[in-house]
Amino acid sequence: MNEYISLYGTKKSDRKREYIIVSVPDDGLLKNLGIRDEVRVRVLNRYVFGGPVLLRVEDAYTVAIGKDIAKQIMVSEIAPKTLVTSKKSREAVSTI
Amino acid sequence: MSVQDNEKILLMGNPNVGKSVFFTELTGIHAVSSNYAGTTVNFMEGDFKVNKINEQGNQSEKKYSLIDVPGTYSLNPSSPAEAVAAEFVEKGARAVICVLDASNLERNLCLALEIQKHNIPTIYALNLADVASRRGITINIPLLEKELGAPVVSTIAVKKEGIDELRTRLEEVLIQEDPGKYVATALRGGCASCPANRQCKQGDGQGGNRNTWSSAKEIARRVIKTNESHLNPGFIDKLGESTMKPFPGIPIAIVVMAALIGVVVGGGEALRELLLLPLVNEVIVPFFHRLFSSWLSIPEGVFLNILVGDYGIFKISFEWIIALILPYVFLFYVAFSFLEDSGYLPRISVLFDNVMRKLGVQGGGLLYAIMGFGCAVPAIIGTRAATTRKERLVMTAAICFAVPCISQTAALISLTAVFSWWMMPALALLGIFLFILSALITGKLIMRNEKVEPLILEVPNLLLPEPKAYGKKLLVRMKHFMVEAEIPMMFAIVIAAVLKESGVLESVAKVAEPLVSSWLGMPKEAVIGLLLGVIRREMSVAPLLELGLEPLQAFIGGAVSLMYLPCLSVFGILVKEFKLKVAVIISVSTIFTALFVGGLINHAARIFI
Repeated sequence: MNEYISLYGTKKSDRKREYIIVSVPDDGLLKNLGIRDEVRVRVLNRYVFGGPVLLRVEDAYTVAIGKDIAKQIMVSEIAPKTLVTSKKSREAVSTI
Repeated sequence: MSVQDNEKILLMGNPNVGKSVFFTELTGIHAVSSNYAGTTVNFMEGDFKVNKINEQGNQSEKKYSLIDVPGTYSLNPSSPAEAVAAEFVEKGARAVICVLDASNLERNLCLALEIQKHNIPTIYALNLADVASRRGITINIPLLEKELGAPVVSTIAVKKEGIDELRTRLEEVLIQEDPGKYVATALRGGCASCPANRQCKQGDGQGGNRNTWSSAKEIARRVIKTNESHLNPGFIDKLGESTMKPFPGIPIAIVVMAALIGVVVGGGEALRELLLLPLVNEVIVPFFHRLFSSWLSIPEGVFLNILVGDYGIFKISFEWIIALILPYVFLFYVAFSFLEDSGYLPRISVLFDNVMRKLGVQGGGLLYAIMGFGCAVPAIIGTRAATTRKERLVMTAAICFAVPCISQTAALISLTAVFSWWMMPALALLGIFLFILSALITGKLIMRNEKVEPLILEVPNLLLPEPKAYGKKLLVRMKHFMVEAEIPMMFAIVIAAVLKESGVLESVAKVAEPLVSSWLGMPKEAVIGLLLGVIRREMSVAPLLELGLEPLQAFIGGAVSLMYLPCLSVFGILVKEFKLKVAVIISVSTIFTALFVGGLINHAARIFI
């Protein structure tokens, strides 16, 4: 249904859009910080000149991820209509 | 398990969940900072006392050692700080207080479940309950207790809410003869195949982790209720977000830095002029003069001069340490600790990551430079958190070459203030230029093909520092400064007094005249700055204050001091953190650069004058 795009290729700082992570490179810190498959993220900012991407993870906390790694994280946009509650978004996820 | 292990209570949790506030509340004031050998991190250790009543009805006090374990996301360490935490759990303890962030429960539960695998009696503090409720998150605590199989106490540590209950519940756990009763059991159900949970550890690879995550997700789903209509961010949350947008984030960052300098320089100057200089010149120094010359009737001569002469120990030690250095150091830590506690600093790392990357370091590099502006020693230790060795070396070299410490800055301000307002900004520009240059050159010289690792960093919520914890941190830092810096400073002052008042300095100055006078264009007595600068950085400047320099000489003196050898303590830390070779290379090249550039400025300027 939805295409997979790289996290760095997402629209710059549009916090209304929500994405779900579909694949993450193998990195201990990334995993420990909760950047894993099936996690919901919003892109808060993307900084120019090769700066990092700033993510809001599960609407709970904020993580900055450098360009080189952000490029390797694949996400899929969640259709905005299903975002009424977080529970519904989870259901939306399971149907993807 | 040895007796010593039984005494320990571990305070654990994700970074930034407020562990240290609990630590302060539970231990009172007896916190000591220890250096954990060979790692990045300082952990704190303090006493936690429990009154026990035995079968005969006698009351006795038992002391436990509460350890503020460095914050960690996981027991599968991805940094040296996390390795320390994992090691503590490995070694075992009498109990664990696991602090959970109620506003971010799922990820916090991952760590909680990992800790459970180690069979240590655990009690959970569900902290930041206020932040959670502001975001419309309600947590079913009785259900969470059932899910985790251990006591859960809802707390707002900074407001002391829930601390007493936590203490009571913890005492209940400690008094238990059978520790097993309180071993949290969330995973036991899922691990029915193995009789002892301990065995789970053996299969604890990535697969084990996945289990932890899905269990955490499942528990979080069951206990959390979110009311979306509450999702109105408050002022500080909004400010926190604006500070991360390139606009207005970058202007804000510049204003914050300017305010930092303003508070330190302006406030320091005010304290010095209005309070400390009069105190030293009119009260302290005359007192000692009278003490030695009249009351102890020490005759006029070399010995009296060493004590209270123009360069006497009891004169310059107060003039330099109290009136010159202390106000700036104090105010720097006032401002810097505030920034640290507010959670603002990681925002600088993110905003300037792109620029710093061009210098061969991550955005965090800028934080080490700010820290180095306080003192190079903690900054160099701090670079351990850098992801690669190259990055460490680049930042260390840049700090040694171009970042003056706060004591030295204080001395530089006093030196240049007499002449004109542009001199200090000019020195600052020179410093920035040297900083960039030395970072680039070091990057080119070592491991030039190594790329800068991409940034991965959690950015905490902005918050107002909690006054008690903040005040305490300040106190510890000032105490540390008094011990670590004042002793070598006194040492330098004694040497200065003896050299000067005994006349030895005269002969040394004669030998060094070609270098100091002909090349640098300074009066030959300025050699004392070069000698003492080896011991403490500000000592390369302070003696120049008394020499009645011309403006150009003051600028050259300042520039040489800026680049000159980092002090003995820095040399020591370079040897400890890297190798003797690195320390020698950095020291020799800083001395050489300082003298070379200083001379160049002198000769270039004299063409025009």
